[in-house]
Amino acid sequence: MENNGKIHKNSKKAAKGPNQRLRQRTAVLIIMILVVGFGAAIARLGFLTIVDGSTLQEAAVAQQLKDTTIPAKRGTIYDSNGKVLAESASVWQVVLSPIYFENDEQREAAAKGLSEILELDYDNVYEKTTQESYYVVVKRKIEAEARDKVLELIDELSDEYDCGSVVQLLDDYKRYYPQNDLASCVIGFTGSEEQGLEGVEYQYDDYLSGTPGRIITAKNAQGTDMPFKYEQSVEAEDGNNIYLTIDETVQSICEKYMKQGIADNNVLNRGVCIAMDVNTGAIISMVTVGGYDLNDPFTLPEETKKEIKKLPEDEQLQAENEALAAMWRNKAITDTYMPGSVFKICTASMALEEGKISDNTSFNCTGSMTVSDKTIHCHELGGHGSQNFVQAICNSCNPAFIQIGQLVGMNKFNQYYQGFGFSQKTGIDLPGEAEDTFWADGEMTEVDLAVASFGQNFAITPIQMVTAVSAVANGGYVLEPYVVSKITDSQGNVIKNVEKTVKRQVISKSTSDKMNEILGYNTATAGATAGYVAGYKIAGKTGTSEKIGSKVISHFSEDYIASFCGYAPADDPQIAMLVFFDTPSGDAYYGSQVASPVFINIMSEVLPYLDIKTEYTESELEYVDVSAGDYTGISVSEAEAAAKADGFTTTVKGDGEKVIAQIPSVSSKVPTGGNIVLYTDDSSRNETVMVPNLVGYSPSEVNNVASAYGLNVSFSGASDTGVVSTSQDIASGTTVSPGTVITVSFSSSATFND
Amino acid sequence: MAPNHRMMLKADINRFYDDEYYSEQKIKQEKFFVRPSRQRKMKKTKIFSIGMGIDLPFCVIILILLTIGTIMMFSASYAFSYYTQGDSYYFLTRQLIFIAIGLFAMCIMSFFNYNKLHRIAPIVLAISYLTLLVVLFLPSDSGVKRWIPLFGGFNIQPSEIAKFAMILFFAHWASKYYNKMQFARYSVLPGAVVFGTTAMLLFLEPHYSGIVIIAILTVLMLYIGGMKTKYLFIGFALMVVLVLILAVTGGLSYAMSRMDGWGQALIYTDEKMWQTTWQTRNSLYAIGSGGLWGLGLGQSRQKYLYLPEPQNDFIFAIVVEELGFIGATIILLIFALLVWRGITLSLRAKDKFGKLLGIGLTSQIGIQVVLNILVITDWLPNTGISLPFFSYGGSSLIMLLAQMGIVLSISRTANIERQ
Repeated sequence: MENNGKIHKNSKKAAKGPNQRLRQRTAVLIIMILVVGFGAAIARLGFLTIVDGSTLQEAAVAQQLKDTTIPAKRGTIYDSNGKVLAESASVWQVVLSPIYFENDEQREAAAKGLSEILELDYDNVYEKTTQESYYVVVKRKIEAEARDKVLELIDELSDEYDCGSVVQLLDDYKRYYPQNDLASCVIGFTGSEEQGLEGVEYQYDDYLSGTPGRIITAKNAQGTDMPFKYEQSVEAEDGNNIYLTIDETVQSICEKYMKQGIADNNVLNRGVCIAMDVNTGAIISMVTVGGYDLNDPFTLPEETKKEIKKLPEDEQLQAENEALAAMWRNKAITDTYMPGSVFKICTASMALEEGKISDNTSFNCTGSMTVSDKTIHCHELGGHGSQNFVQAICNSCNPAFIQIGQLVGMNKFNQYYQGFGFSQKTGIDLPGEAEDTFWADGEMTEVDLAVASFGQNFAITPIQMVTAVSAVANGGYVLEPYVVSKITDSQGNVIKNVEKTVKRQVISKSTSDKMNEILGYNTATAGATAGYVAGYKIAGKTGTSEKIGSKVISHFSEDYIASFCGYAPADDPQIAMLVFFDTPSGDAYYGSQVASPVFINIMSEVLPYLDIKTEYTESELEYVDVSAGDYTGISVSEAEAAAKADGFTTTVKGDGEKVIAQIPSVSSKVPTGGNIVLYTDDSSRNETVMVPNLVGYSPSEVNNVASAYGLNVSFSGASDTGVVSTSQDIASGTTVSPGTVITVSFSSSATFND
Repeated sequence: MAPNHRMMLKADINRFYDDEYYSEQKIKQEKFFVRPSRQRKMKKTKIFSIGMGIDLPFCVIILILLTIGTIMMFSASYAFSYYTQGDSYYFLTRQLIFIAIGLFAMCIMSFFNYNKLHRIAPIVLAISYLTLLVVLFLPSDSGVKRWIPLFGGFNIQPSEIAKFAMILFFAHWASKYYNKMQFARYSVLPGAVVFGTTAMLLFLEPHYSGIVIIAILTVLMLYIGGMKTKYLFIGFALMVVLVLILAVTGGLSYAMSRMDGWGQALIYTDEKMWQTTWQTRNSLYAIGSGGLWGLGLGQSRQKYLYLPEPQNDFIFAIVVEELGFIGATIILLIFALLVWRGITLSLRAKDKFGKLLGIGLTSQIGIQVVLNILVITDWLPNTGISLPFFSYGGSSLIMLLAQMGIVLSISRTANIERQ
């Protein structure tokens, strides 16, 4: 027993007493537990909650929340008249929550069923069933038929394997293109995730795609929803709708004739047609022939497939990809070409603007011209002789334009080249626009200038050419071409309205007017070889450029690009159009023979459609078609009088008193003074005639032959100058009813200008 | 000295065992533990006293912790209970029954003269050994033998009894031989024998976390019982050697398997390890999700089957998730207050046995709290240490409250001195 008194007296100093020792040791204990122990615990908790808190919380939330994406409906693409060109329709997607699978039997059953219904690879689907995930997309965009089968499978899975909730069907959208291949290079298409891959679909993907919604549901560790609702949903925001400047009617007219042109001239490397509103820059139609079905953009044409199959196996995939890329390529903006004589429009404009020449400036052509020791030939090897400026354009005389180019001078030529917008991309709102190929500063020689004056040895894109010609036509304003005129949200509110963008004025209004006059004169005098369309004042210029530097694939000694660029009406330009065939390999290769007829065909349908006023000359009136009236249901004498009043002659067939039928039918186009056959009884209607050959005659000869057979003729491309018929739409030898209208195309028999 | 003697009831037995009694000066020294106002209140308040008051603050702290613990146990177990038992109230209902039994036991024990325990300490130890032995021969599904099933699906955990038996025995021993405790044969030897045998039985269960706690308690009791400090260090060295031997012989394989992935919970190495560390990882996710202020009471997401058995050892992770760092800290401070109050009131006990027993029983709570927090925060391997007043479990809760009753009993006699 220790001395208590000692402790009492010196309690602070005495450390040896048992009570004091207990106290000290208890103090140590308290420090160990409360300070060290609790301190460490609180510090650790503080570290985890505050320092590491956000990372840990993120990981926790990631496993707690089931995130389901609701696809947004992609916006619709309309043409300028509101006709649907691309639209998303509701379909379904099949998704898995493979984490719910409990055993391999379930996985195999689900994988087998899904791979069969959705035509997928079994191993691939099975691999998806083994993922530790709540959301794996098996297949998107399945249609109602497949959806029904999947629903059956879900029933089967839940009945037999107790795992029905693993497979789910969610809303999805699929892109449809009701016009199939129409304007394919402009519209473009979307990929498997609805992302835009080409054309407007790509360029305006941000507008079209909308914002996908989400449903976030809290779930327990077994993946089912928690008993207490925790759900947050963000509605999908549908994409915006886009209105194109493309007019579906004009586009289909262009495509029709471009395809025909490709076929008629055995064009090897596709063709392009661009129609532009010269006053705004809006693209009314843009055709790259050899388009593709937008609903099936990954399928190559059969011939291409066959050719690829011939290749060694290891090259096939690459060849296929290249072929697809080539097929999707929008030649109108992505490929460059040498513009050839069409460029003379620009050379002429700059010379006029600079005052270097006038109408009467005369040029001499000997068939060739020597520049810096290099002899450059004219297409007219004999030479055009002495000619004034207007004649030089009409003759498309190369030596004359070399001289014009020399008058303009290299510096000014370059300035105008840039001024017309050839040195920059036009800025059209489509992907993949190419740049021009031109001489770098100071590299241009006199010879280069000489050939550049008539559009050779430099390359531009078709869209640049048509933009420059529009500037010549519209008073000198270089515009930014565009294909989208308006963007609206899903409720129809306008988000964006595209107005015309004027980049600069490159030539004066007076020069523009002068050029319109000269080019209009060119077309009027050269006729079908230069885009003549009866009833309309067309201004235009042909072009035949040599393709230099590539392997010749046509049967000609060289490959050519045949083009025609023109606009109408010449006195008040509204629409400019470039028609362009790359490497024709048929009977002819000149722009005047290959491109001009297509231009004429398109314009003769497009201009009336666009309500552009006709002004016929007297000689033209002879060939103008008018609509046949309704002469049926009335007596023969009344019918004859009515037809006569409309300017037709009549032939009565049968013995009836009343007219029961007529050929040509009501509203069909009949040439002025054409013959209407009026039928009065049924037996007479069986009468037929054999269509004669109408090719190779002048218009009046054709008229005579047709009349003899009791047939009507619609004249296409005919003018009073020397033309011959080149084709008829109903082949000779065909049996038709009397009065049937046969469309006969005419072409100039004169020498073909470049 | 004299007034003390007069005021004592049935305390003559202490005179027999204890070496000394408090002097009046001693009581004055201890004044700072007891506020005068409290003393006056004590005299008026008779609810918990039959002429002698229990320590009301300690009792209130217990009830506060029990209330918070039960609410949190209910919140944490709600979803797990719903999914596994089909009834969200399953664990709550049972826990409330345990609490009723436990509070009854606490009440009884607070009236019970703890000095009677002095004599029966060796018997309690013997019972502890018996239960530890019995449990080894009971069938077990998992191969881990920790529970003795009783009626009605209730179980008792022999290691809970063992912990109490150890504290009781060493309090008994050290107070009996307090002046001889500096000799190794009175301190180290009985310590080694009692701990060694208990540890061996726990090792066979196996229940390593139980061994760890019992080891800490043994050292703690011998330390405050007066053992020389150098033996403490020798003991540490020996334990390290023992662990090393076990490690070499492979006997630690189970413990090692529990330690697999210790500190690796957030790092993905392979699927098996990822599954092993699932509980710890989700505990960390829960704690991290809590942040400073928590998601709000009942708002835990991790309790939805992510954190397995959230009502048990990992309950505090859900507490942090719902109440945040602030709430968790407040709860830990209440625990600290309990420990502080328990130890200081035990120091006021008039006999050595009471002091040692009270300190031991209170410290056990502090130690378990700290170890539990370190486990759920991945600073210690996931070994299964429950959180007092919070974790679900009948035998541990009843034992805990009974032990708190003993501490209250000690406070009752300590208060007698002041009156």
